[in-house]
Amino acid sequence: MSAVVHPQVDVAIIGAGLTGGSLAAVMTTAGYTVACIEKGPYRNFTDWDMTKYDEWMVLNFRKFDHPLSLWSFSLRNNPDQYANPIRRYTGVQTGGTMGHGVGGASQHWAGGLGRISPWAYKPYTNTVQKYGSSVLPSNHDLIDWPFEYSDVVAYMEEWEQEGGVSGDNQDPFTPGAKYPLPPHPPTPLAELFRDTTESMGYHPRSAVSGIASQPYVNQFGVQVNSCVYCGWCGGPCNYHCQVGAKFTSAFRSIPAALKTGNLDLRVNSIVYRIDLDGTGKKATGVRYYDERGNVNVQPAKAVFNAAYSINVVRLLLLSGIGTPYDHATKTGSVGRGLTETSAPSATSASGTIDMGGNRYPAGNASGGGYTIEDFADDNFDHNGLNFIGGANISVGGYLGSAPGQLTLTSAGPNNFGSAYKATLIDAMLPTKRQVTIRPSGPAIPTSDSFEDLDPHYVDAFGDPILRITDDFSTNENPAADYIAPLASNILTKMGFTDVKVNPVSLGNQHKDRQSAHIRGGARLGADRANSVFNKWMQSWDVENLFAAGECLVPFGDNTSQGTHALGFQSYIAADGIKKYLQSPGPLA
Amino acid sequence: MGAWRSVERRQFIKTGITAVGGVFIASAGQVPLFPGIASEKDKKISDLQGQVGKANQTATALQSQADQTSGFLTLDSNEQAVVEAIAEVMIPSDANGPGAAEAGVVYFVDRQLASEYGMNAEMYMQGPFVQPGQKGPITVGNVTYPGGSAQVSLNAGGAYQYPFNLREYWKRGLSFLDDYAKISYGAPFASLDSNGKTKFLQDLWNNKPTNFTGPLPREFFNEVYNLVWGGFLSDPIYGGNRNMVGWQLTGFSGLNDGNFYGEGSSRTKLMLQTTPTRLEPVSLAQFQKRATGGT
Repeated sequence: MSAVVHPQVDVAIIGAGLTGGSLAAVMTTAGYTVACIEKGPYRNFTDWDMTKYDEWMVLNFRKFDHPLSLWSFSLRNNPDQYANPIRRYTGVQTGGTMGHGVGGASQHWAGGLGRISPWAYKPYTNTVQKYGSSVLPSNHDLIDWPFEYSDVVAYMEEWEQEGGVSGDNQDPFTPGAKYPLPPHPPTPLAELFRDTTESMGYHPRSAVSGIASQPYVNQFGVQVNSCVYCGWCGGPCNYHCQVGAKFTSAFRSIPAALKTGNLDLRVNSIVYRIDLDGTGKKATGVRYYDERGNVNVQPAKAVFNAAYSINVVRLLLLSGIGTPYDHATKTGSVGRGLTETSAPSATSASGTIDMGGNRYPAGNASGGGYTIEDFADDNFDHNGLNFIGGANISVGGYLGSAPGQLTLTSAGPNNFGSAYKATLIDAMLPTKRQVTIRPSGPAIPTSDSFEDLDPHYVDAFGDPILRITDDFSTNENPAADYIAPLASNILTKMGFTDVKVNPVSLGNQHKDRQSAHIRGGARLGADRANSVFNKWMQSWDVENLFAAGECLVPFGDNTSQGTHALGFQSYIAADGIKKYLQSPGPLA
Repeated sequence: MGAWRSVERRQFIKTGITAVGGVFIASAGQVPLFPGIASEKDKKISDLQGQVGKANQTATALQSQADQTSGFLTLDSNEQAVVEAIAEVMIPSDANGPGAAEAGVVYFVDRQLASEYGMNAEMYMQGPFVQPGQKGPITVGNVTYPGGSAQVSLNAGGAYQYPFNLREYWKRGLSFLDDYAKISYGAPFASLDSNGKTKFLQDLWNNKPTNFTGPLPREFFNEVYNLVWGGFLSDPIYGGNRNMVGWQLTGFSGLNDGNFYGEGSSRTKLMLQTTPTRLEPVSLAQFQKRATGGT
């Protein structure tokens, strides 16, 4: 069957998520023609009306997210193991939860934000200069971003403007942060945390949120609605915004790009290859299945790979772009250097306070709290310590949970019957609040954490799925062991009772899911031997291929909460693509 | 105990939809009457007979409506009895209010097995199917893995590694369960006494039965557990949580924004207060009805 070949455009974008949408808006408003090819549908915020509060299908079975029947990924902890594929959604975060449709993964995002601190752009250099390299795990594969905080502040501001990011402007650890909207109203618990930590000499700041705290018009003229505090995105932070307040491409950038007339948005269309010319050094466009399964070719002068993190890497591998990482020789760069912002199951601090409330139905998933970064990144002296980085401590966000969460992971020999049922009486109406702080440090990329094409499993079209080989590094636990007691001090000073440090020792963890904020695999860097994209987000191997995503982030810093580390990349890439289209070739 | 403030309400919910037949009013002859006022008495009897007749007609109509939706799409009669019995042990009707029976959990489970869930509709179902957590070495295709297969916890997305769908999984699980009951308890599960049923379920959790060839006993227990509680706590639109009995127990208010019934609160108040406010729950259907102009 012959392919449908479309007329050439300036830029073909793979995916209409947060990064693809931003690039589409910037390029189309500058007069470039763009075809954006998105595997799922376009649901605007009004489409969520009437489906909300449905925990069973939306949260547990993720009916608006990527159907795993298209493809999944497999996961193992080390290269000696067989990797089983993730086969289903169970209501427990399976991780790597890909979005589906315009908005991508940001549709089910909590909205948590915060700029990356200057230190975290150069974690390797800064660590080695100050503490020597012996503090890093022996198998570390840590590299720096290819630019400094000060180089990219302007890009970050543009991205924050696009979204209408809400937060205050007094964070001493991310200088010059000026968020366009004020923070969401703090809860009484957050105010107590703020006052207590301030009196202890720390530096509390309001939670930074990607959910608009006020009505707003962004730089593209898109009207953004204010949060109505319906609490829907709360719960376990995986629900879609029904008023358009949450920062996703569906309600920010894509409407702006469509308005220009320069965007051809093709939904329900699955890109499966980036096509290369005979030299292998230039992309000619992208190849995709439309919703009837027909093969389409979209020629383009430049290609922007804006798929979900792990799918960016998979498309590179499927298209034969770059050198796949080889674990045996520790060479190659595609699939290399996985990392995360945190590990979930390290030592924690917990306590109880007489401040309850309705676990539903109010607030949102990322506002209301206060955060201190005094124990994050290199904001405290690590001399004599056996880890780098640290953790944010955040307290007092709006309560958010749905009732099924009460029992979801409770299966056990005694958790049923009348006695257990009695523990659920008014469980959604607590009169006290239990707070648990999990201050685990960043996972350092190691030479043993990587992605490659699975040798056993294929997708619905016959292409291999991605295999993730990943485990905790030796950095997270010592960080949590050090910070948890400090966090417990704060809880005690705040008047919490039953304050405890809950130790988890290394080796008692078990990584059977992946953080949704998986980083690395297609890293930015200054050296093509261990990175895939340069500082313009341009491929080292295919000069007219650009990308953005969390997979380009080389380090799991503590402050960016994931999404802040990827959004602004599109604004850098847009400049890169413009430069490239004016004067093709590798960008310096 | 906040959910069950008045006996009247509790009785109403307890009888709920499954007990619509209970609306049948006793025969007029049993209605207590004042003696000695014969003509009035006759008239009252006649009136009451008329009322009873009407009530019975209405009740019959309601009963038949209930019957029309309280059937089964997937579970056979034996499976229905077992699922119902497990659900009632897990969530009994007791002094704290209705349980799985009143919530219609068995119908929820049946509907789930008939829907996307039972069909593994959006699950990744390409082979090979290799059990996780195996000690090495194992060989798959022509590759040998000295480290075996990675370990996963019960609710991880990689825990399910079976070549059949969840409807089949349940069928197999229920049949293994039946066999185990006969082997080790000498009677069908549903006929065991309450202690026996509890102990039986604990056997499953402890992987005591050896006749389960996939799903394994603990896996099956976990799957059943999640569906049973799902049927008690999910929106009633999926056939369980009838009359929102699960939400009454837990204090979840569904789509109530704080003022759905004129309670006078609001979301912005609720999110900043430090004491909970009990609100009457609102289901999806109720919310939608209001939104489209109904009451």
